[in-house]
Amino acid sequence: MLEVRGVEAAYGPFLALSGVTLTARPGEIVALLGPNGAGKTTLIRCITGLLRPRAGGIRWEDAPLDRVPAHAIVERGIAVVPEGRRLFGAMTVEENLELGAFVPRARPQRAARLEHVYTIFPMLRERRRQITRALSGGQQQMVAIGRALMAGPKLLLLDEPSLGLAPRLVESIFDVLREINRSGVSILLVEQNVQAALTLSHRAYLLEAGRVAGEGSAAALLDDPRVRRAYLGPLAR
Amino acid sequence: MTGRRSRALGLATAAALATVPLVVRRDDVLNFLFLVLLSVTLAESWNIVAGYAGQVNLGHAAFFGLGALTTRALWIAGAPVLGAMVAGAAVAVGFALLIGAAAFRLRGAYFAIGTLALGEILRITVGNVRAEISTLPAATIAGYRLAHRYYLALALAAAAVAVVAALGGSRLGLGMRAIREDEEAAEASGVGALRLKLLALALSTALAGLAGGLFAYYHISYYPAHPFSPTWTFDALLITFIGGVGTVHGPVLGAVFYVFLKEYLAIRWVDFHLLIFGLLFVAIVLLLPGGLVEAAARLGALARARVLTAIRK
Repeated sequence: MLEVRGVEAAYGPFLALSGVTLTARPGEIVALLGPNGAGKTTLIRCITGLLRPRAGGIRWEDAPLDRVPAHAIVERGIAVVPEGRRLFGAMTVEENLELGAFVPRARPQRAARLEHVYTIFPMLRERRRQITRALSGGQQQMVAIGRALMAGPKLLLLDEPSLGLAPRLVESIFDVLREINRSGVSILLVEQNVQAALTLSHRAYLLEAGRVAGEGSAAALLDDPRVRRAYLGPLAR
Repeated sequence: MTGRRSRALGLATAAALATVPLVVRRDDVLNFLFLVLLSVTLAESWNIVAGYAGQVNLGHAAFFGLGALTTRALWIAGAPVLGAMVAGAAVAVGFALLIGAAAFRLRGAYFAIGTLALGEILRITVGNVRAEISTLPAATIAGYRLAHRYYLALALAAAAVAVVAALGGSRLGLGMRAIREDEEAAEASGVGALRLKLLALALSTALAGLAGGLFAYYHISYYPAHPFSPTWTFDALLITFIGGVGTVHGPVLGAVFYVFLKEYLAIRWVDFHLLIFGLLFVAIVLLLPGGLVEAAARLGALARARVLTAIRK
């Protein structure tokens, strides 16, 4: 279980998160929604160890995470599909995937997981010797998700996996996420595509200006008139 | 080139070079090849930390110089030369880890600036403290065998190429390249960047220290500050870029090309060759970022395409 308690984070003088508290339980898909600049990416960076919170605490499986270096957090079973994918552009698809299994915990099942990723995304098998910079946005997103899966995570964080992708591709990526979750992986999903995110997830948090402005089950939020007005627009459904 | 083919080619080249002193009796040929082999070692060593791990070291001469200084002192004092060289490498690695541990925690230009500063500080300090020329004792000069130096240079160059080749195909090498591409993304994927950068630096400066020791073993007399000169850094950098940065073969091709051209140009135009290498460097970075290795690959592909179309006709 992931517990974020009262986390405050800042970039220099700019406070990006002021007292964010949330949890993600085993087996859940939790969506993190909110407008640009609400602090969603900042929170992901705090959980993955790339940014140190100024105050508050992050715990994972009953151990504090806030002083653990980023690479050691992967070893504890949390993998991330970062904002903008952040692939190793000059390296091949397979090298990118191999790097997902760099941590010791992922070494023994490396070959099996590679096969698994190629089964989920057959396109990647065909292109495994190509450098990732030459791939389309959708294929790059598949590599980014595949790379995170190679770590064999218990919790998968995704920062806007639908960004810049065609609607049909978004749908198939979300189908993949549902499958990943069914295999026992918890998911914390940052999304701008609120409708799709709420349809996929069990629970969601609304983040606004660095604070949690609302939370609840995905079904309840989908029916909440305020959420519908603020995020889905008057024409939604 | 596939791994097995390039390994076979490498072994054949090393074997051919090993027979040279038996066949060729000319010292100038051996001296020239010595210089090429020393350059291969130095460039490959720079290539590990800069080409693979992406950490630009602008003070590589410091580690070459420390290796030379330590080896020369211990060897002249009576230590066996190989032991003295290992000690020189250890001193180089010690200094490297000190500066790496400080600079690698900060990203960006700190490592480049730190190593540049270290190189200059050591050069000036050694120039002041050990200002007199260092000359071998008469007895050592009397027993001087160029072939010994040559074989040591060959062994060291072969070792440097082998280290880089092993690294290139390994998990650690993969992690280093990921750091070069995007350090933060590498960390987030589980690559411990600080440890890997320090490992790359230690491997790199160990080889540079050994190369410095070879320099100290080779030269009959030189100013102790000379191996600390930034020229050694920029030779390594230029050779690696000309040949192909972050590749196994690049520094080898680059060293042959560079030393040959440098000797030729230096004879004809003295210091004018520096200007030519400057222009060549700019041209390669802009037009052929993969260096000679990329040029060879492109030519090979072109030739294959030509042959294929000719066959189809």
